[in-house]
Amino acid sequence: MWRFFAGRGAQYLLVLGLTVTLNFALPRMMPGSPMVFLAGEDVGFLEPQQRAQLYALYGLDQPQWRQFLTYLGNLARGELGYSFQRGRPIAAMIGERLPYTLLLVGLALVLATLIGAALGALAAWRRGGSFDLGTLGVAMLFESVPSFWLGMILIAVFAAGLKWFPIFGAVTAGAALSGWALVVDRARHLALPLATLTLITIPGTYLIMRYSMLAVLGEQYIATARAKGLAERVVLRRHAVRNALLPVATVFMLNLGFIASGATVTETVFSYPGIGRLLYEAVLNRDYPVLQGTFFIITVSVIAANILADLAYPFIDPRVRRR
Amino acid sequence: MRRLALVVLLGAALAATTVPVWGQAGTLRMAITQNEGALNPYTYVTGYPGWNLMTLVYEPLFTPDADNIPRPWLVRRFTTSADGKTWSFTLHPNLKWHDGRPFTADDIKFTYEYVRRNTHARWTPQVRNIESIETAGPTALTIKLSAASSGFLAQPLADLPILPRHLWESVAEPRRFNDVVGSGPYRVAEMREGQFYRLVANDTYFAGRPKVRELILPIIRDATVTFTALKAAEIDTTVRPLSPELVAEFEKAGGIKVVRGAGYASTLLQFNMEHAILRDLKLRQAIANAINTRLMVRLLLLGYGVVGSPGYVHPDSPFYNPEVTFTASKAKAVQLLNEAGYVDRDRDGIRDAPDGTPLRFTLLTLAGNPIRVRGADLIRTWLRDVGIDARVLVQEDASIIAQVWPDFDVCKGRKFDMAVFGWSAPVMNRTTNLRDLFHSDCRFGTINIGGYRNTVVDQLGVDLAATVDVAKQKRILFDMQKVIAADVPIHVLFYQDGIYAYRTDKHTAWVYQKGQGIVNKLSFVDPPKP
Repeated sequence: MWRFFAGRGAQYLLVLGLTVTLNFALPRMMPGSPMVFLAGEDVGFLEPQQRAQLYALYGLDQPQWRQFLTYLGNLARGELGYSFQRGRPIAAMIGERLPYTLLLVGLALVLATLIGAALGALAAWRRGGSFDLGTLGVAMLFESVPSFWLGMILIAVFAAGLKWFPIFGAVTAGAALSGWALVVDRARHLALPLATLTLITIPGTYLIMRYSMLAVLGEQYIATARAKGLAERVVLRRHAVRNALLPVATVFMLNLGFIASGATVTETVFSYPGIGRLLYEAVLNRDYPVLQGTFFIITVSVIAANILADLAYPFIDPRVRRR
Repeated sequence: MRRLALVVLLGAALAATTVPVWGQAGTLRMAITQNEGALNPYTYVTGYPGWNLMTLVYEPLFTPDADNIPRPWLVRRFTTSADGKTWSFTLHPNLKWHDGRPFTADDIKFTYEYVRRNTHARWTPQVRNIESIETAGPTALTIKLSAASSGFLAQPLADLPILPRHLWESVAEPRRFNDVVGSGPYRVAEMREGQFYRLVANDTYFAGRPKVRELILPIIRDATVTFTALKAAEIDTTVRPLSPELVAEFEKAGGIKVVRGAGYASTLLQFNMEHAILRDLKLRQAIANAINTRLMVRLLLLGYGVVGSPGYVHPDSPFYNPEVTFTASKAKAVQLLNEAGYVDRDRDGIRDAPDGTPLRFTLLTLAGNPIRVRGADLIRTWLRDVGIDARVLVQEDASIIAQVWPDFDVCKGRKFDMAVFGWSAPVMNRTTNLRDLFHSDCRFGTINIGGYRNTVVDQLGVDLAATVDVAKQKRILFDMQKVIAADVPIHVLFYQDGIYAYRTDKHTAWVYQKGQGIVNKLSFVDPPKP
């Protein structure tokens, strides 16, 4: 048992080490420097020694290897550093945004998996019927629409048009709400971005489930179950769906790790303050510390999700259990 | 049954909350486009609207009026010595900080010395000329400069906001300091990073009560969503200029007013003056002639813009030289190319230089700006028509800067052919702008990204920086424009008009600041009485 974890543990540490190195190197390999974002728009008027002073302030005048060691040292201490542009501790910045991202992307993933799996199972069950063909067509449609377009349509119809939901933000700006009113306010603001993200994620799960179900339904044990005289609904639930869920569960766990990277386009359209947008802006601004910090969080999250999957899989699929 | 009840309950709860919670009289919702830090002088982000909003909280001594002329604001009276080197100020009495402490000349002296010690890209260069600052009591101040400077009134006097000494004197890392105690007409009441700011009026403001009770600044990142929200009355106005294609629709919409005025932000074709082939004047003149800027204004801006003037200065600026004009002519372009020996020697449709090098260039353009991208495309088409191949490369900000203006340091050189570039509105207002843009010494020509060299322009630039008399400044600028128009180091394409929309049921006393827009101090508070 411990040998398993030692072996896997070593693998994960290696992955972590590689990604930490890449996290440091990649932003610095991009053309351009953080200068304007350190200094502001009028940076052209700075004198050389003032520029040098700014660079030194951020440790950017050091040779790369020394910057790397400083970075590693800070990381080991759990210190993610300060944003170049904002001067705020990155841990605080991520801490502010992560809950919104987890709420939006996490909830979307869960809903999309549940709805997609249910629809996929039913479609496969009634293969070739109107439900099957109908849902397949709709799934293909949502698979192909760009998320920002879908978001804009939802805004146009449900927010600007019917005024059921607000157009932007995570909360009503400037309103001092508390208790139930606050919960409802947040829920109303979450509705449309959640709907957008869920609608474009459902097709993936739906298709995986549908094909998986079709494969399972062709298996011998399904024929046996039917021959035994079990009701159709029992065959569906107890035998078919359970086995067909395996690929869906795999994909779910893989996606779980990437929740931390947010949903940049959806967050932009709805001005939802998640991590995706933070990351995107950090790339544009060459804000190295924010990039490093956010990538690190995502890496840890993905690795954690992988470990979770490794641990959970034997319980989901008994065939995988080791002797 | 229980499920049904739950659904009904949820539905009722949602319905009950469709009435917006704010929207009482006196609250203005103005959408901004991105985070502006802690809205204090060391953390605000953008020139526009960042500086404009930050100076509602922290104030410079003077404020630019609707014509961009600095007017005394915190200062009640001021005098300048004959040689322009000594400036004496008397402040208004009873000025206060938001925390109740008195605002004195000591705060001003502290601020000017603080920004010299703690490098800030905008403030530090502005105070470089100051030799000494002396206070004589809480309301009297004298500043001595080492040399007369034409831009001193605009910067720093009307630009650098004053910091409260009692809060900032122990701050060693200003960029990490998020304090927002200022002296201005608005106080920061609430700040949610990445989401919104809430400013409330300072009721004891010395110049009188601000015109709007409360300013809520939500951050809306997408342009389309911003204008959808404006139409749907979820916001009252936005700092974003209205896109040309939306103007007709918004002008017709009820409850919304659209104001239009001169825009000082420029869009231009920047040449690399050190390029082996592009350094030929005739070639640049030909390229300029091949571009139909009138048609560009019609197609890209739907007419809401002004054709670029060859001396850089906007026609509405008081320093515009009306004798410096340019009319593009394709025939002239062809004639110039032929005269200079650019002929298609190998019959591939592209002209070649006398030494055989084909006229193939790359044209860099900023991604994310559809007007510029389309503009670059039009330029490519027109240049192709006269036998020049210009390949359009659309890249993001930092990549373009790395080639055109590495590290934002003109001294570091450049590596590009041509670029569709542009400068923001404040550059047009800066007195020394033509020196900054065209002086060959990279210490003075801080935005001379093309590496242009002309000794006449250099000398005029030096004179300009030292001239305080406005009439003389005008004469020098007129001369500079003539030379620049003849040399074509840049070709100004157009100046996009500033078009702003606001809802009429909230606040209508907007003041359009020439070249810049409606988000300025004068839209929110009247000037103090002398």
